[in-house]
Amino acid sequence: MWTYIARRFLQIIPLLLGISALTFLLLQLAPGDFLNQMAENPAISAETIEAMRRRFGLDRPWYVQYAIYLRNVVLHFDFGQSFSRHQPVFTVLAEGLGNTLLLATAAALVTWLLAIPLGVLAAVRQHSWVDRVLSVVAFVWLSIPEILSGLLLLMLAARTGWFPVGGMRSIDHDELSMWGRTLDLAWHLFLPALVVGLVPLASRMRQMRGSLLDVLRLDFVTTARAKGLDERIVVFKHALRNALNPMITLFGYTLGALVSGSFIVEIIFSWPGLGRITLDAILTQDQYLVMGSVLMASVVLILGNLIADILLAVADPRINYD
Amino acid sequence: MTLRWPAFDLRALALALVLPVAAACGGGGSEYTPYEDPHPLPEEPLVIEAESIGGYGGRFVIGQAAGPRTFNDVMANETSSTDITTQLFVGLTTFDNATQQTAPMLAKRWEVADDGLTWTFELRRGARFSDGTPITSADVLFNFEVAYDDELHPAIQDLLVMDGRRWEISAPDDYTVVIRTPAPNAMVPELAGALRILPKHVLEPAYRNGTFASAYGVNTPPDQLVTSGPWRLRQYVANERVVLVRNPYWFGIDREQQRLPYLDELVFTVVPDQDAADLQFRAGQLDALDNVKPENYSWYEENQANGGFTLYDLGPALNSAMMWFNLNKVRQPAAGRRVGDPQVDPVKYAWFSNPVFRRAVSMAIDRDAMIQSIFFGDAVKNWSTSTPGNKVWYTPDIVKYDYNPDEARRLLADLGWRDRDGDGILEDDRGNTVSFTIKTNSDNRLRVAMANFIRDDLERVGIRVVLTPVDFNTLITNLRNDFQYEAALLGLQTGVPPDPALGQNVWRSSGLTHWWNINQPKPETPEEARIDRLVDVLVAETDLEKRKEAWREIQNIVNEQCWLIWLPTQIARLPVSDRFGNVQPSVIPHRILWNIDRVYLKSRARR
Repeated sequence: MWTYIARRFLQIIPLLLGISALTFLLLQLAPGDFLNQMAENPAISAETIEAMRRRFGLDRPWYVQYAIYLRNVVLHFDFGQSFSRHQPVFTVLAEGLGNTLLLATAAALVTWLLAIPLGVLAAVRQHSWVDRVLSVVAFVWLSIPEILSGLLLLMLAARTGWFPVGGMRSIDHDELSMWGRTLDLAWHLFLPALVVGLVPLASRMRQMRGSLLDVLRLDFVTTARAKGLDERIVVFKHALRNALNPMITLFGYTLGALVSGSFIVEIIFSWPGLGRITLDAILTQDQYLVMGSVLMASVVLILGNLIADILLAVADPRINYD
Repeated sequence: MTLRWPAFDLRALALALVLPVAAACGGGGSEYTPYEDPHPLPEEPLVIEAESIGGYGGRFVIGQAAGPRTFNDVMANETSSTDITTQLFVGLTTFDNATQQTAPMLAKRWEVADDGLTWTFELRRGARFSDGTPITSADVLFNFEVAYDDELHPAIQDLLVMDGRRWEISAPDDYTVVIRTPAPNAMVPELAGALRILPKHVLEPAYRNGTFASAYGVNTPPDQLVTSGPWRLRQYVANERVVLVRNPYWFGIDREQQRLPYLDELVFTVVPDQDAADLQFRAGQLDALDNVKPENYSWYEENQANGGFTLYDLGPALNSAMMWFNLNKVRQPAAGRRVGDPQVDPVKYAWFSNPVFRRAVSMAIDRDAMIQSIFFGDAVKNWSTSTPGNKVWYTPDIVKYDYNPDEARRLLADLGWRDRDGDGILEDDRGNTVSFTIKTNSDNRLRVAMANFIRDDLERVGIRVVLTPVDFNTLITNLRNDFQYEAALLGLQTGVPPDPALGQNVWRSSGLTHWWNINQPKPETPEEARIDRLVDVLVAETDLEKRKEAWREIQNIVNEQCWLIWLPTQIARLPVSDRFGNVQPSVIPHRILWNIDRVYLKSRARR
C-alpha cells in the first residue's frame, strides 16, 4: 500500500509538468496578451504598452518565459506574479480557495445527505410511485442549467426577502456575535449550496439505488431473508453496507471536482471564490494567474482520485494494490 | 425592506435562519452615529457647494462587477480599482462633472505666465493626509517623479509628456508647485489633476528600493494606507467588499463649516453578475446601480414611484460606437508581401479606400430603426467621439452622412456597380461580388446586435455582409497586429476630462488607435496630414475657441471621408435610492460617486 502511494506521488511530477507545459503553450497560442485590454482607451500610447510588455517579461519568446517560470517554481517555489494585481499568484488564489471549498463542502453535504437515503428508498420501493417521482424530480433538476436555477432562486430571494441576494456575508458581519456570524454565513450559504448540490443528486441517487438493487439480488440476502430476519435488518445491516462500496469511490472522485465544480454558481451568487478570479484571469490573459489556478485545480483533482483509490482499498478487502 | 412571511412550510426554516440575522442587521446602529469632528479645520479649506446642507451618518452601498486589484492609484489601470482609488486620493485639480469644468482641489488656484509655458499652482495650506501629516509640494514632486519613472512606466505618463518631452516640475516653497511645459499645452490644469497625490513619507522607501508597483496593494493594512482624499480604507475583504470611512483630516467642508464627507461609510460590494446586481438593488441590498441594461429601463421607470428610488436620466453617454474599413498597409516586408501593399485583398482595398463607397455604406444604415429596436428608443444618433453628452466639446452641426438608401444606391450605381447576375447583390465594375465581413467582439451584445442590423441594411442596397463575432482579445490582435479583418465594429471610451485632446491617438495618423490605418510613419493622405496639424493646435492652443474650431474641422474631415462610420450612442439611465440627498448622477465617470463627498442620508427607510 505505501509503495503504491509513493509511486502515485512520483507520477504526479511528470503529470504536472505536462499540464503546465500544455497550459503555457495554449496561453501563447491564444491571440493577444494581457495588454490588449487597454486597446479601447485612446489615452494610452504604444510606448507605454511596450514598456509594460517589457516589465511583465512578455517580450521574450514563450520558451524562455516558460523556462524562467519553471526555474522559479522549482528553485524558489515562486509561482509568479499576477499582472493586474501586482501580487504573488499564491496570495491571490488563497483568497478564494477557502470560500470555494466551503461552498463545495456544503454542496457535497446536500448531495450525499439526500442521495443515500433517497436512493435507498427508491431501491426498496422499486417501481413504486415514490421511485418514479424521485427520479423524475431529480432528472428535471439535473437538466436545468445551473445558471437558470441559480437566477430563479435569486429572484425568489429578492422577492421574498427570505434569503440574501448573493454574497457570502452581510456588511455588518463583523459586528455580530460568534453565533450571529455562523448563522449569517449559513443564511448566505444555503441557496448556492442547494444549486450546486442538487445537480449531481440525480446520478448519485440512481447509483445508490442501482447498487443496492444489485446487492439485494445476491444469494446472501436471500439467505438472510430465508433465516427470517426482519427486512429492515436485511436492508440496512447487511445489504446497505455492501452497496456502499462503489459509492465510496464516487465520493472520492467528488473531492477532485471540489475546486472547479461551482464556478458558474459562484458568479451568479457573488460568492467570493476561485471562479471569478480564474475567469477574470483567463479573459484578461493574466498568464501566471491562469497557470497557478490550473495547477491548483489539477493537484486537487489528482489528490482526490488518489484518496478515492485509497478509500476503496480500505473499504473493500478484495482490492489490493501491492 | 420588510419581511413578508412565507405561507408555505419553508416558514419554519426561514424563521430559524432569518430572524436572528435580520434582527442583527437592522440593529447595526452605524447609520446615525453622531460625529464630532476631532480636528480643527484647515487654514484654507475647500468649500464645496451643494444643493443642501446634510448631517452626519449613514452608509452608501454600491456594487462593482469585480473587486479592486490594487489601491495604488498610479499603478491601477482598471476601473474596478480606480473607482475606489479616486475616492482615496485627490490631485491638484478635479473635474466637476456637473459643470464639466476643471475645479480647484489640492491647489486652491493656478495661473499661467505670459510665455504660455509656466504654470504656477498654489497649494491649500493646512491640507493633511489621513494620518495628519501635512500635504506639501514635496509630495507633488514625488508623485511626478514616480509618474515619470522609466521602469514603472505607468499609463498616466502618456498624459504628462509631449512628443516624448517631459514637463519640468519645481517647488520654490512648501506650498507652490511650478510646472514648465516644453511647448504650450492648454490642458495642464486638467492633466496635472489626473495625477493624484500619494504620500511621499509612506511610499518613498518602497519607491527607492524598487517595490513601488506592489506597494499599496489590496492587502495593505488599513491604517497604513494613508490617503489624501475624502475617504480612507476601513476594511478590504477579497472578492467581497471594500469599506471606506471618512478621512478625519480631509480639507473639504460645506458652506456651514462642517467637514465632509457626511456619510460614515462608503461600501463597494462585488457583484459579478449584472442580473444579480439588478436583483440586489430591487431587494434593497444596493443603494445604486451604475449600469443598467436598456431592456430593464421600463421596469425601473414603472416602479420608481413606490420603490423608493429614482431612475435618473443622464442623457447620452460619453462612449461612442463606430464601424470602419481596414485601410492598413504592410509595413514590414514578409513572404510575398511588399511594404506599402494593402493588408486586405486588393479588390476590396479598391472599394474600401474610395470615400464614395464609405459614404454609401454610412447612408445605408437606418440609425433611427436601430435605436428603436436595439436600444428600445434610449439612444441618440452620434457622429463623433464627443457625443451630445459632452457639454464643452459636442459640435452639433458637423458633416454627417445619415440614412438615405436611395442616395446610397445612386452612389453605388455611379461607381458602375450593377447586379449583373440577378441575385440582389451588386458586382463591381470588374465583376467581383461586393461583399465583406464585419468583425466585432462577441461578448458585447449591443455591438453584435448593431452589426446584425448593418448587415440587413446593407443587403437592401445590394452589399453582402458576413458577420464574424470574435473574442475580444482576438479582435484586438486582428486590429493591431495581424490586420486579419475587412471591417470592424468597436467602441471608444472617453476619459475624464472628456477633452478630445486626450483622444489624440485616435486622430493622429501615427496613433495606435487611428484604427482604419494605424501607425503611419508619415500621413498617407493630405486629409490626414491636415488632421495631424489640427491635433497640434488642439493640444497646444490655450484659447478655447480656437481649440473648438480645430476640433470642428477634425470632425468634419473625418466625417466627410467616412473613415469612421458612426453608430448610435446609448442614453444612460440609472436608479439611486431616494434615501440620500445631493445625489446628482452624471454621464462622466464615476457616474454616481463623483460627488459622494457631499451626499447625505435623508431617511433610513427605503420604502
